[in-house]
Amino acid sequence: MRLNDLLRISVRQVFRHRRRYWGVVLAIALGVAGFITVVTMGSDVKKNFNQKLDLIGGVTIIRAYFDSEQDRTARRLWFQPRTVAALQNLPGVQEASLVGFRPVGAVRHKQQHHFMAVAVDENFWSVRSFWARHGALFSREAVLHRERVCALGSSLARKIYGHDQVAGLSLEIEHDNYLVTGVVGGLADSGLADFAFVPLTTAQDRFTGQTLADRVYVRCRTWDDVAAVAEAIPKTVQAHQGADHLMVHVSWDALRHVQKVAFWLEFLVYLGVFATLTLGGVGIWVVMMAAVRSRTREIGLKKAMGAEDRDILAQFLTESLCLSLGSALLGIGLGRLLVEGTSGWIGIRPSEELFLTCLGLGLLFALAAGVGAGLYPSVQASRMEVVAATRYE
Amino acid sequence: MNSPTPKVSGRIPLIEAVGLTKHFGADGSVIPVLRDVSLKVYPGEMVAVTGPSGSGKSTLLYILGLLLKPTSGIYRLGGDDVLGLDRTGQADCRRRRLGFVFQSCDLMENSNVFENLEFPLIYAGVSRAERQPRVVAAMERVNLGHRLYHQANLLSGGERQRVAVARALVNRPQVILADEPTGQLDRQNSHMIMDHFEEIVGNGDTAVVVVTHDPDIARRCGRICPMEDGVLHGV
Repeated sequence: MRLNDLLRISVRQVFRHRRRYWGVVLAIALGVAGFITVVTMGSDVKKNFNQKLDLIGGVTIIRAYFDSEQDRTARRLWFQPRTVAALQNLPGVQEASLVGFRPVGAVRHKQQHHFMAVAVDENFWSVRSFWARHGALFSREAVLHRERVCALGSSLARKIYGHDQVAGLSLEIEHDNYLVTGVVGGLADSGLADFAFVPLTTAQDRFTGQTLADRVYVRCRTWDDVAAVAEAIPKTVQAHQGADHLMVHVSWDALRHVQKVAFWLEFLVYLGVFATLTLGGVGIWVVMMAAVRSRTREIGLKKAMGAEDRDILAQFLTESLCLSLGSALLGIGLGRLLVEGTSGWIGIRPSEELFLTCLGLGLLFALAAGVGAGLYPSVQASRMEVVAATRYE
Repeated sequence: MNSPTPKVSGRIPLIEAVGLTKHFGADGSVIPVLRDVSLKVYPGEMVAVTGPSGSGKSTLLYILGLLLKPTSGIYRLGGDDVLGLDRTGQADCRRRRLGFVFQSCDLMENSNVFENLEFPLIYAGVSRAERQPRVVAAMERVNLGHRLYHQANLLSGGERQRVAVARALVNRPQVILADEPTGQLDRQNSHMIMDHFEEIVGNGDTAVVVVTHDPDIARRCGRICPMEDGVLHGV
């Protein structure tokens, strides 16, 4: 039997019996589409979740600071710029931000206010995923150019101005006038709602006394990087300036909780994909067995017409392969749509190479399922005795 | 109307069976179905094998069609010992030298008439270009040229059996073996099928063996071989 005839007849048979096969087609197509989407987009979706600090409770933020309270006789320490640069370069670190705290006084309409000023560098907003509730947060250029600008916590803004529509207003802090750019919103802003944020450079220039940048926020790329980065921070600091009284704070409980939830989510998704694919594979076996049984007379007839055992074997095996590969192709199309949709949604373009690898794996699975699940029914069909087959009711 | 008596002298029989026996058995019990059956059928001859149910006539037909192995005996097809062939050789023999017509008008229901007739040609390795004219010619021989692309399951019983005859013819076999070909047909259609068989043997190259229990149908054949309890008479 020629290959083109074999393919033509097999495709025709599968198409004509499509009602019998739709469940299997659906299972394999969904399984392959799910596999492609999960593998292609999984790491990007995970990264995307890691960007949503409010979703994961800020577990990817590590706080490192010098705790001078431990030894009051020791001189106060702060982070050197080269240490921060080294921390930025640690594997798994997305960004680091240098911060200093100091109490300040401010005057508004001759009324004194005392609060804590947070002196932050240019990375601070992105590291902490803070955003402007009103107005804007001061820019990177404002930090670099040591501008007299500030952003206020919402509670502080209301305390000083009576409302939080404060963008563009001025505030005298430590005898200098500062332009209020806006009100800070975002994760944990409740904890900082009574604080004012000023550029670190400006604070170091203008505030009387030293504003020590004794705190670093390190943001990890994913929650899986947190433990390794937390372990590396003291060694890195020690290597550049000494790490006496260095404290490294990680929200371990929250991190473990997030990791556990993520693990089970991932596990369930993979389990779903695996179950669907297995269902598809078993489905092929079942429908092919049913096809062999329901087409027993056809098999006998074909053998009477001169078909050899291998012709019958090849035909059923090819039908099984057509079924599995056809379903896989449908799944690949569906997977592509899902990948496009997901990447549009999270705004990250996945690697085309990874998609092609998944496509190859999907086809490989279909090939294995087609041959593996179709072989036994095909052998059964090919070994059928002609007389028994032609008399089968 | 009887088929013409063939001129057989000096010709090699297409079918030559000598001393065929067939026993079926299980758990130590042996049931003889064919007992020392011998038969010669010549080109241009139409032979009816008649007998009651269970007499062994279908078993004989399956052995002649190489669908079943006899327990003992000799069977030559066109002078060749075909019982010694392996499964592949026998399959080759079936597709090139034999044509079958079964009682139950066996057609592939999900295929159209053309596709049903195309299968034997595919198995025989006939090129795609050559298949179309051969299918058309076979269908025209049974006066169903206009039904070429009809779905098999939409044909009437008589038409289906005529399509089965056309399919048996399409590979130009030497022998057509028909197992109760009119068993499910009315009288008119039964005689139409027999008319086609007469026409086929009329060319003098092909032989037809018809298994039937219908005396009217048997009488349309040139020779009637009654079978009883596995013994073939009138050879």
